[in-house]
Amino acid sequence: MREPPYATVLKPYGEALTTLARTRRDILCLGADLTRQTETDLFRDAIPERFFNAGMAEANMIGIAAGLARAGHVVFVNTFGVFCTRRCFDQIAMAVAYPRLNVRLVGFMPGLSSPGGPSHQAIDDVALMRALPNMLVLEPADALEIRQAVVALADHIGPAYMRLKRGESPLIFEEAHRLQLDRAQHLTGHGKSDACLIAAGMMLPAALAAARTLQREGLGVAVLNVPVIKPLDVDTILAAAREARVIVTAENHSIIGGLGSAVAETLAGAGLGVPLRRVGIADVFAESGSREYLFSRYGLDTQAIVRTAWEALGRAGPVPRAISMPAAPGTYAPV
Amino acid sequence: MLSQQHSLVRRLATRIRLNATRMVAIQGFGYLGQALSSAEVFATLFGGAVLRPGRDRFVLSAGHYVIALYAAAAEVGLLDRAELAGYGRDGALLEAIGSERTPLVDMVCGSLGQGLSAAVGFALAAHLAGEQRATFAFLSDGELEEGQVWEAAMFASHQRQRMGRLVAIIDANNSQVDGPVSAVTTLEPMADKWRAFGWQALEVDGHDIAALTQALTCDFAGAPLALIARTSCVGRLRCLPATLDAHFLKLDEPLRAALEQELTRELQSADA
Repeated sequence: MREPPYATVLKPYGEALTTLARTRRDILCLGADLTRQTETDLFRDAIPERFFNAGMAEANMIGIAAGLARAGHVVFVNTFGVFCTRRCFDQIAMAVAYPRLNVRLVGFMPGLSSPGGPSHQAIDDVALMRALPNMLVLEPADALEIRQAVVALADHIGPAYMRLKRGESPLIFEEAHRLQLDRAQHLTGHGKSDACLIAAGMMLPAALAAARTLQREGLGVAVLNVPVIKPLDVDTILAAAREARVIVTAENHSIIGGLGSAVAETLAGAGLGVPLRRVGIADVFAESGSREYLFSRYGLDTQAIVRTAWEALGRAGPVPRAISMPAAPGTYAPV
Repeated sequence: MLSQQHSLVRRLATRIRLNATRMVAIQGFGYLGQALSSAEVFATLFGGAVLRPGRDRFVLSAGHYVIALYAAAAEVGLLDRAELAGYGRDGALLEAIGSERTPLVDMVCGSLGQGLSAAVGFALAAHLAGEQRATFAFLSDGELEEGQVWEAAMFASHQRQRMGRLVAIIDANNSQVDGPVSAVTTLEPMADKWRAFGWQALEVDGHDIAALTQALTCDFAGAPLALIARTSCVGRLRCLPATLDAHFLKLDEPLRAALEQELTRELQSADA
């Protein structure tokens, strides 16, 4: 893994999709009046004959994608996560998930990474998509995983939802890193641990920083990256959980129905009595604001993970201060 | 020659009504009104050399009409007639509302208002592949209340050069769950709405085989076609009161017997 603050890549998704589509003629790209914002201006400009703007009509866009997919295309549907899932849930369920079609729903601006307030903050998209049979749910953590996810999704059979940070994506992993559509990754802290941190997407850098903060206090900390929230890699999660005293999940999403819930179901189902704490949006609608402000205010920052693990372990003394990581322009660091 | 073809289609429409009556009679209730109102449309599509199975696309947006599709398909050899007896029964192939298990259709939608979007997707795919396929979407008037239909209409019109031969057939039987569509909301002027969305629109008597055939085979280009088939849920049957709300019909024994008798007579007189 690389060290924070991380170098960033602009539009890794749009580039990867456009590059792949040059050789994969079955790939189509649909959008809903958010072309530049979903990085698909690159696709539109390079391959205009396979790009279609549905306008602000998400329900119809899903149906069109379904028809195209049934006729043999692999259809990437792009908009903000909140409009991609909540607004057209029945259409996704009936026209895409139920017929098991090769439609890839790509939702940008997950959770509180949107400054736009509750109307633009996808805080329940994972919960909604996870509840649909046949649906794969993906949240890559960095630019490398995004590139690999695009290739993997093009070959995947069946529908998928991928939530993506908008704009600059950090480079966390080294080139040798491999994303697989059925695997979580145990990144650090193998063997017995005090706390096992399980994170996805934008919360991975915060979990890694929290682990470092806690390790400095002499604690053993494992970190798992879970880019595939469904189907969940139960084996990897249980193996790490059996070695840990407490588990802390971290997600940029409501704590209801997302990664934390999926881990809770897994632990309970396996009969593991290990304490679980869920860091995420605590069943509230948030507000407008910068990522830094919102992540701090709603408990999605590194400090929240540190505090949660510290308290779950029943440690005496003040909660250690999260290592601060100023990010220069063009780099990325967790809040 | 043409009239001979029409009389075959007319006979098929009666067979569709008779099959549907028998299918519904097994459990005593079901979507009979849909089959009665749309029998001529399905007969024209499947018996009138309009829809070319395996080549043209067919989307059944109003999934409750699947009974009419089954009833027609069994008559033209696209479905084993024995399957009809299982309609709506636990574990049977033929579910009461269309599903992914429904044979013969490219997409079937039980959640209303969604089918035209999928049809537009099929039409676009045919264009991209350079294939000469027609795309037919069967809608009901009630589902025009769903906004998605008009999103699809808008998109199809905008992409008219890429839609090929796209036809939306609307069974305007003025029936929805809560009663007459006209009592629930105002869809009229229906044809003008489609025209305003950039479509060509035709209105015909949906029980008139000649008119349906002419409309469905007409040479149209430049814009997709909305065919509004004005129909009645009682399908002009004399034994049913014109005021009957047949959206989800309870078929008691006297009514079943009367339907069976009238439809059988109709077939006999057609054969004579």
